[in-house]
Amino acid sequence: MSTPSVNTSAEIPAGFGEAAFEAFLTTRDEPDWVTQSRRQAFKRYSELLESELDPEEWRRVDLRALRPDRFQLNAGSENSKDSADGKHAETLLKDQAEFAGHVTHVDGQLASNDLAAELAAKGVIFGDLATVVREHSDLIQKHFMTRAVDSETDRFSAWHAAFWTGGTVLYVPRNVVIETPLYSLITLQTEKAADFSHTLIILEEGASATLLEETASTTTENLGLHMGAVELLLAKEARLRYVQLQNWNHKVWHIAHQAGRVDNSGFLQWTVGGIGAKLAHIHQDVVLDGRGAEAEVNGVTFATDKQIHSFYTQQVHNGQGTRSDLLYKQVLRDHSRAIWRGMIRVEPEGQQTNGYQRNDSLMLSSTSRVDAIPGLEIEADDVRCTHGATAGRVDEEQIFYCMSRGMSEYEAMHMIVEGFFQTVFDRIPVEVVRETLNQAIIKKLGFGR
Amino acid sequence: MYTPDFEEVASLDEFSSADRLEVFIGDTPVLLIQLDDQVFAIEDVCTHDGQPLTNGCIEEGVIICPRHGARFDIKTGKALCMPATKSIQTFEVEVRDRKVFARSVN
Repeated sequence: MSTPSVNTSAEIPAGFGEAAFEAFLTTRDEPDWVTQSRRQAFKRYSELLESELDPEEWRRVDLRALRPDRFQLNAGSENSKDSADGKHAETLLKDQAEFAGHVTHVDGQLASNDLAAELAAKGVIFGDLATVVREHSDLIQKHFMTRAVDSETDRFSAWHAAFWTGGTVLYVPRNVVIETPLYSLITLQTEKAADFSHTLIILEEGASATLLEETASTTTENLGLHMGAVELLLAKEARLRYVQLQNWNHKVWHIAHQAGRVDNSGFLQWTVGGIGAKLAHIHQDVVLDGRGAEAEVNGVTFATDKQIHSFYTQQVHNGQGTRSDLLYKQVLRDHSRAIWRGMIRVEPEGQQTNGYQRNDSLMLSSTSRVDAIPGLEIEADDVRCTHGATAGRVDEEQIFYCMSRGMSEYEAMHMIVEGFFQTVFDRIPVEVVRETLNQAIIKKLGFGR
Repeated sequence: MYTPDFEEVASLDEFSSADRLEVFIGDTPVLLIQLDDQVFAIEDVCTHDGQPLTNGCIEEGVIICPRHGARFDIKTGKALCMPATKSIQTFEVEVRDRKVFARSVN
């Protein structure tokens, strides 16, 4: 059953108070259970606004300049249709490879999507959450914010659960293998627009897929807000490669709860690229539930100017014989800041766990700053868990040596930065992602300017 | 060199019950401090740990970070003791008709 009266052209007031929430609900055409869950989440959001954030996660992240009342949700799809395919956005991945399907969102609304006919015939679903939730309500209800991201975690997850606008859904049935990557583009176009997109990937037993997701702004000047969530649900022996490349302009706030759950012998390879945003904070959980589940998490970030890139990562080992391997490489320049708080948690049932986490930071200027805090919480007695973090400046002698061999300072710097990232690039099997990240780094360094 | 325009950030009347006010200049959190009938503006972020100076004690023209004790000169922004080694940003302030205007110095 759907909401009886839907007004997609209604104006939603700026901000995220009660009036904005009620106006937002009138623009939605969705099943009753969604409306009910939104109302519960909004109530929880209002309560959580009155309580302090978890200091372990937030004490190093300054949110005072984040003023929600400045941002506004887009009610209808008029703007998004005008810029179908997000063609105005400066994207890094689009048109760089062949994709089996794509979904594009502009200002939180679907602009376009398609999927190869042979995949649709096999039962694959790839589309916009706002649409799929109507057409496959039972499927979404079973998986949406039930196992991975919890709307009760903090004010941001509740905020997202109340106001999610759309997002990309990928459902791959049992034993269906998708060889060609799929592509999702999320763009912000309007000044002070808010995007609350939700990525939901469900892989049934033995299924396999690759999804490349990119966020981009259409201008360098517009303020924006992304309050997102990502849920990756892998059943037994499923294999997923998921890449999210965050490439907003430097005036966008990017806050996201992201979680993956992997069942028996499943394999999740998750790559996070962080280049843009004014402030980006990602709460990333990888939960290995089943025996022999594996996850490899790669992070590549490059912050310049006054950007802040913050990650709060958790590798949770619930099942026996599970393996996780996390490697984050972060480069900073100017007055930028990187914060990484990582935790490996092994539950009592997680015997024979093999957990690894590492964070390396390279500072290209003395005014940048890194806080890297690895951690272990182990409740099983037969595990192998290791972690480490390094932070340092570029060696002046290396630059001098390169320049003495005829390179310019930019070329030398690029070679050193590329070499720094190489160990994480080597772990990314999708060539277009490696090349795209490398191009983004060159651009960020100002090489060839 | 580009000098930004003054922005109206507060009124002197708002100081009636407090010696400091939290405001924004652009997206920068700024602390306005009334000291000896003058108003000063400093970036409200300790250069040591990147967190607010908002509730720091003020003694003889110096603000003391409430967490680790770093001290900053309110008039110049200069870091006066460890653990801070870098100055905090200061802002130019003008008071016209009891309204407080401020702009970035550099």
